[in-house]
Amino acid sequence: MGSFTSSEQFETMLGGFFEHLTTVPSIAEKLLASKLIIRFKYTDPDVVLVVDCSGDALEIRRGDSETTATVEMFMTADVAHRFWFGKVNLMMALTRKQMVAKGPVPKILELLPAIKPAYQLYPTYLRENGYAQYVID
Amino acid sequence: MLPLFFEFHSPTKVVYGPGLVSDLHAELSQVGARRYLLVSDRGLEKLGLPARVAASLEDAGVQVVGSFLDVPENSELGAVRACADEAAAVGAEGLVALGGGSVIDTAKCANILLSEGGDLVDDYSGAGTLTRPLRPLVAIPTTAGTGSEVTQAAVILDEAGSVKLSFSDKFLLPTLAVLDPELTVSLPPRLTASTAMDALTHAVESYVSPQWSPMSEALAAGAVRLIFDHLEAAVADGSDLEARGALLTAAAMAGIAFSHAMVGCVHGMAHAVGGLCHVPHGEANAILLPHGLEYNRDVVEERLAGLAPFVNGLTSEEDRLDPADRVIAAIRNLAGRLNKAGVLATRLRDVGVPEERLEAVAAATVMDGTSFYNPREVVADEILRHLRNAY
Repeated sequence: MGSFTSSEQFETMLGGFFEHLTTVPSIAEKLLASKLIIRFKYTDPDVVLVVDCSGDALEIRRGDSETTATVEMFMTADVAHRFWFGKVNLMMALTRKQMVAKGPVPKILELLPAIKPAYQLYPTYLRENGYAQYVID
Repeated sequence: MLPLFFEFHSPTKVVYGPGLVSDLHAELSQVGARRYLLVSDRGLEKLGLPARVAASLEDAGVQVVGSFLDVPENSELGAVRACADEAAAVGAEGLVALGGGSVIDTAKCANILLSEGGDLVDDYSGAGTLTRPLRPLVAIPTTAGTGSEVTQAAVILDEAGSVKLSFSDKFLLPTLAVLDPELTVSLPPRLTASTAMDALTHAVESYVSPQWSPMSEALAAGAVRLIFDHLEAAVADGSDLEARGALLTAAAMAGIAFSHAMVGCVHGMAHAVGGLCHVPHGEANAILLPHGLEYNRDVVEERLAGLAPFVNGLTSEEDRLDPADRVIAAIRNLAGRLNKAGVLATRLRDVGVPEERLEAVAAATVMDGTSFYNPREVVADEILRHLRNAY
């Protein structure tokens, strides 16, 4: 069993972080430039989050399984959580099938430099929003 | 110091030998399939290679139940679908890919459709989308550059949207790679040089990559030695089987190395000049390799120094440089000698890159996926300085 037991809790925690990222101009602008629609499908517990960069402003949609996504990423909630600490190497995770990416992987790789600063924001976000117990040292 | 983690997975059986393609009985009897579709291209058809290979496959006791020779210069979705349709129509149990990276990538993706059915783009583009082994694929390279015969990746152009689709999965690794240098003797000197420099770039970038492992570095260093020792001989005399064999082997070794350790900003710049200015990938890598190494030099000095015993062609003055600088000088000298021989460009201006496009190239380099695996942060202004040096 993973670290997270409640879909609602994980959706609120990670969805809230994604929404926080939309307010960070240096990250949001680069995501918007990609024009991608990315659906994250998490398991253990099951959560779906869509990051929509196709419009004028970033949109985070919780539970959206309808929109046609450019890329779909599949992983466990634990892997996702560790990823945002910068503790998961994307290519390694893809190789080991800890993550599966459907769609244009190079476009996802192109986003990695843009989201790198988010790794430092994630622990701060967790501490400031009542999730300090999930901070990984 | 060892990396904290590495994985090494290279199940493709590699066999090497001049003339080996004429006697594949031992290898094919272990592959399992009896009925093969031969995948190749029209250029090789003119040289008679598909017919020669088909005859030897039949001699080896397997049936060539059909052939697909319409692979374009850059693999396209339509060709993949047509190839898979042909394979299904003739009841192929496996595929034999005879050609360069485009042919092998086409066969890899056609094998997905042949084995699994479905829609190539919607169901399988991406990484790790396959769940079980595909039908046997035998890869017989006729160029020595991409290393596709031993990698788990394929790149296919979606001609409708002009989008390059990537496929990466361990189940795409060919079952068997046949390295027969006799099949590369017709490669012209210019292509010999640029494809080998592409392989050299795979080897060097993977060697200094933060993703390196002791397994990948051994293969990368071996590839560097083979290329330095044999590239000029293969350019001077295309029928030199020893040299041809060394390059073919080096390309496969570098392919295994970079598919584990990744590549960095040299490829980032090459992708950018390829996309924006249509410079062929091998030529772009050849021009940009020393400049990308200069960009990374200070953070990879120690690792780059590890390649010093594997390079040659230095002046006595250069021999006194620090080891990392000796490696860069040796690469520059090799490219320079090939340039003097009239088979390789060493400046971006000589391959049709307009100077006013350099800023756009620098910006695209930063956004290239390889930036993430570069040993240091890829910064547009600094990349631009190195692009100007390469101009």
